[in-house]
Amino acid sequence: MQIQVKCSCGAEKCPEWAIIELQGVVEVQPSFQHSLQNLQIGLLCRPSSQENYTFTVGYHELTGSKVALKKPMVVLKKIKYMDVATSSSSCVELDVVGVIRHKILFKTRPTALISGPQPTVKEKINAAGA
Amino acid sequence: MLLNLQPTSSVSIQYHPFFGPHDDLVLLELDEKLLSDVLYQRVTLRGQPDEDAVLCTKSKTYLVKFVGTSNSVFLIPPADYSTSHESGGENYNQQVPTASVIKVAPGNMELVEVAPRLDKLKSILSENLYSSDEASTAMGDLYKWDDLINKVQASDDELKAGLQALSAVEIDGYWRIVDEKYMDVILRMLLHNSVLNDWSLDSLVEDKVVSVLESDGFPRKLVYHCLNVYGSRVEEAMDGGVWRLDARRVCVHFARGILREGKRKMESFMEEWLRMIPEEIQPSFDLLEGEVLTEKLGVETWVRALSVSSLPTTPADRFSILFKERAKWEWKDLEPYIRDLNVPGLSSEALLLKYTRRSQPSIDAEPVFSAR
Repeated sequence: MQIQVKCSCGAEKCPEWAIIELQGVVEVQPSFQHSLQNLQIGLLCRPSSQENYTFTVGYHELTGSKVALKKPMVVLKKIKYMDVATSSSSCVELDVVGVIRHKILFKTRPTALISGPQPTVKEKINAAGA
Repeated sequence: MLLNLQPTSSVSIQYHPFFGPHDDLVLLELDEKLLSDVLYQRVTLRGQPDEDAVLCTKSKTYLVKFVGTSNSVFLIPPADYSTSHESGGENYNQQVPTASVIKVAPGNMELVEVAPRLDKLKSILSENLYSSDEASTAMGDLYKWDDLINKVQASDDELKAGLQALSAVEIDGYWRIVDEKYMDVILRMLLHNSVLNDWSLDSLVEDKVVSVLESDGFPRKLVYHCLNVYGSRVEEAMDGGVWRLDARRVCVHFARGILREGKRKMESFMEEWLRMIPEEIQPSFDLLEGEVLTEKLGVETWVRALSVSSLPTTPADRFSILFKERAKWEWKDLEPYIRDLNVPGLSSEALLLKYTRRSQPSIDAEPVFSAR
């Protein structure tokens, strides 16, 4: 079986996707679990001209930076379709839909912000670390 | 936009309107040099549903492995990644611009370069050896190039090299391995005609050889195949189409024929072997390294066949069989049987370290290798 890896957007026009990575888990308040769409996770700020960033999730503030990935990544989308010729088999194709070269990485312990309303989304520190 | 966030600005990170598990979206980490192969559609995934997936470029094979992460990796597509344009993506109408997370990735795939899985090639082509009574025996599965691509986990270049190493030949579009007994018949006919027609084995004229053997009833394709298997083209020949028989390949062929039925005493083997080898060729026992093993049983020395080409290509399996054949090996005997092992990133010293136990009975004795 051979699965073609395509890039339907074209090699030169392949869009760049982004990653925000944190050590930890973002928890959503139970009442919002099933309607996450469009819910705000947090606010990402770039305070100065350096590549340092803050990410405020609920009452936690994380600090991190934008880093170049050691090795680039591609985002692949699996596409299943029925083969018209042999109606019994389904075919799979992979399409490159994006390239990732940087990520905004937060790897320090978050600091707690004292004031502020009860968050619908908050950040939980992963005790085991990563 | 997220990637070009300006100093002193902010962006609201939200769950995308289509946020979800999206198991059909996967991340694949690659070396920079592979990136252009992927973007320019020069790679494919190969394998059967029950095998681990491998990714192939034109000349290399990579195992695809999943590496999980305990971090939260928020995947953010570009602004226009959405079938609905009313919501999601980046929205400049609001006071604060937004960027949306489509998925939290559990990890990513990565590639590990591996040797091509050619053992399967040998076994499927051996299902139907091409023999002299081809017409009556050609049943079962035959494989064209495209069939081999679908079944064997190797890149195109590696598959071609594998076919060459097996001395396979393409007949009527199908790749076949010719039965050894049939090859023997053709070779002997060629040698017989060389004597009859006073041909030199160092400069066989292709056209003459082919026309004579064809009139003896051998398919043209197989005569060329015979020249390819037992000889090499003489490059320096002025009018092209001149071949030189290879001493080692001819000698190995006859040795294998003699030992096919089982081991023989050295004297008996040598007597028959020397008798079969054409006069023009100088035989020497060294030519049989990697093809035969000698063992002393009592006062007698015996010879038996063990061809490196019959052994598995993966190191673990190769060493396992070698140590079953013989518990202890000296380097000079072992080397021809592991010379061809190909493990990207592992030298032969590293292979020995990994798969064998080295011992030295005394300071001046040869080191000996045995199973771990």
